[in-house]
Amino acid sequence: MLESRSVTKKFGSKVAVEQLSLVLEPGHVYAMLGPNGSGKTTWMKMAAGLIKPTEGAVLFKGSPVGIESRKHIAYMSTEPYFYSWMTVKDVGRYYRDFFEDFSYDDYKGLIKRMELTEEMRIRTLSSGMMAKLKIAVTLARDSEVYMLDEPFNGIDLLARDEIRESILEHAAENKVLLLSSHLVEEMEAIADRAVFIKNGRKADECDVEDMRNAKGVSMADRYREIYGHEGVQA
Amino acid sequence: MKNLMKYELRKTLAIKLMILGATALAEIVFLIGLWADRNRMTGIGVGLLAMLAFGGVMIIGIASVVILHRDMNTKQSYMLFMTPNSSYRILGAKVLENGISILLAGAFYFALAALDITLLFAHEGRLADLWNWLRDLLQSFDARITMDTPTLLALNFNLLVTWIGTVCAAYLGDVISTALLNGKRYNGLVSFLAFIALMWLVSFVQGKATAGISGIRTVFLVDGGIALVFAVIMYVLTAQIMERKLSV
Amino acid sequence: MKFDPNRPIWLQVMGDIRTDIVTGDKPPGSKLPGGRDLALIYGINPNTAARVYQELEKEGLCETRRGLGTFVTEDGERIAALRAEMAGEAVREFLGRMSRLGIAPAEAAEMIRNEEENDHA
Repeated sequence: MLESRSVTKKFGSKVAVEQLSLVLEPGHVYAMLGPNGSGKTTWMKMAAGLIKPTEGAVLFKGSPVGIESRKHIAYMSTEPYFYSWMTVKDVGRYYRDFFEDFSYDDYKGLIKRMELTEEMRIRTLSSGMMAKLKIAVTLARDSEVYMLDEPFNGIDLLARDEIRESILEHAAENKVLLLSSHLVEEMEAIADRAVFIKNGRKADECDVEDMRNAKGVSMADRYREIYGHEGVQA
Repeated sequence: MKNLMKYELRKTLAIKLMILGATALAEIVFLIGLWADRNRMTGIGVGLLAMLAFGGVMIIGIASVVILHRDMNTKQSYMLFMTPNSSYRILGAKVLENGISILLAGAFYFALAALDITLLFAHEGRLADLWNWLRDLLQSFDARITMDTPTLLALNFNLLVTWIGTVCAAYLGDVISTALLNGKRYNGLVSFLAFIALMWLVSFVQGKATAGISGIRTVFLVDGGIALVFAVIMYVLTAQIMERKLSV
Repeated sequence: MKFDPNRPIWLQVMGDIRTDIVTGDKPPGSKLPGGRDLALIYGINPNTAARVYQELEKEGLCETRRGLGTFVTEDGERIAALRAEMAGEAVREFLGRMSRLGIAPAEAAEMIRNEEENDHA
């Protein structure tokens, strides 16, 4: 469904992603793992059609991503991006205006579960509320691909269960879910495949349950093996 | 396109309402002065209204460039570039929204001025003088300039495309500096210099092209036509650069 | 449910359901949640949840009826065998731990009897 063909992205002389090849198939929840700055976000932005690769291409159903693929790929960036004059309601209306696969009813349900209200103003949202709003508005789309960049960032322990559940509700045979995180423990149970990114390159890709079955190795163990000391996050 | 324009309007709405509010205040000053026979107040009202008519149009233009700059240089860029719209449409919505706003603002201030001048003469009890004044005004133009309807239309066309050309030049100046400097210092200065250079280029070509033409209507049309061609070229260039650069 | 990330999660969820079947929390013939619901209940990947039922079916502990869902087996003997199997596992684990403490099975049995008498006293 989504394929990265030897994708390289350079910012000036800095190489953010290097020769990254990857095939994401429907029916799986992928965990894209790696420390901050390893290139996860840059790759996702390319797959979302927000920035262009320096070399290589990201293909959605065989065609390079772009205006058309944005209709079918729901992307949630890690940074907040809503206009500051908006309310929670305005954010939903904006998505409804631009995405045919967006359901305002689903959005209403999701913001309620996230303990937000339509009247809240973007300007006054805490970082945790903002993180929940981003997830709600992204998951209210009925897309073929969901790419959530750091969905658990800034989410307190109590809300994490709700987030995990809403994400799992969207996992389906015909959909790709890609979640990036440096909070590996959050990913252990929900992802069935893991992609490890190190210095812009793909370090490993595996079936998580098979790895546990064959070697008794968890995602976190493998993470430590790959990144060693540098992967240890605060 | 309709939705993109809707949100461009929404982004500039606050500043437009402020200009409208200020205009309403100035109009009230004018009307009170007129009603209370206080000539100084009436004069201040007229001065303020004239200032707002020209300044307001300027501010709307500047605001739209500031918004484009923000839409290219902050995380808010995702709001536009995550939607299934090309850079041409995204930029086109901005140009169109701005052009329509300017057209409406121009019509609004023209109507307001006509109303206020009528009121002024009516108040003085010299409504008949209004027509004399208008006739004198028209005659005060060069005798060769007969402001017939086609010439007026040509003038309006000229003003509108000149404005759109100015906005397009400002957009292009901004995306050039954004693409080159990418959020570094002097971004604003570089875009301003690029804008001045583009405007100079356009007026240079206009000057050359209209040098030998005598008829005023033809001058308006040729001048406007050149502005239009430049506006289209600058629009395409801006969209091309945006497409390559996209969001932050 | 808290998972041990080093063991396959389908095995851990399976263990949980097996216990429910033996204790009667999930009686013979009762309907089990669908695969997607199971995933949501345990907060696990839907493919992992599907595997749980595949494995339980392989063990003859549940059966999927087309269009109706997955049900706990009505085979009492199979459930009794599961109980014996799980008890055996518990005993072996217990004896293993005692052995590491240097306590032989006979001594361990004696300790169990004493513990039981103390409880009754």
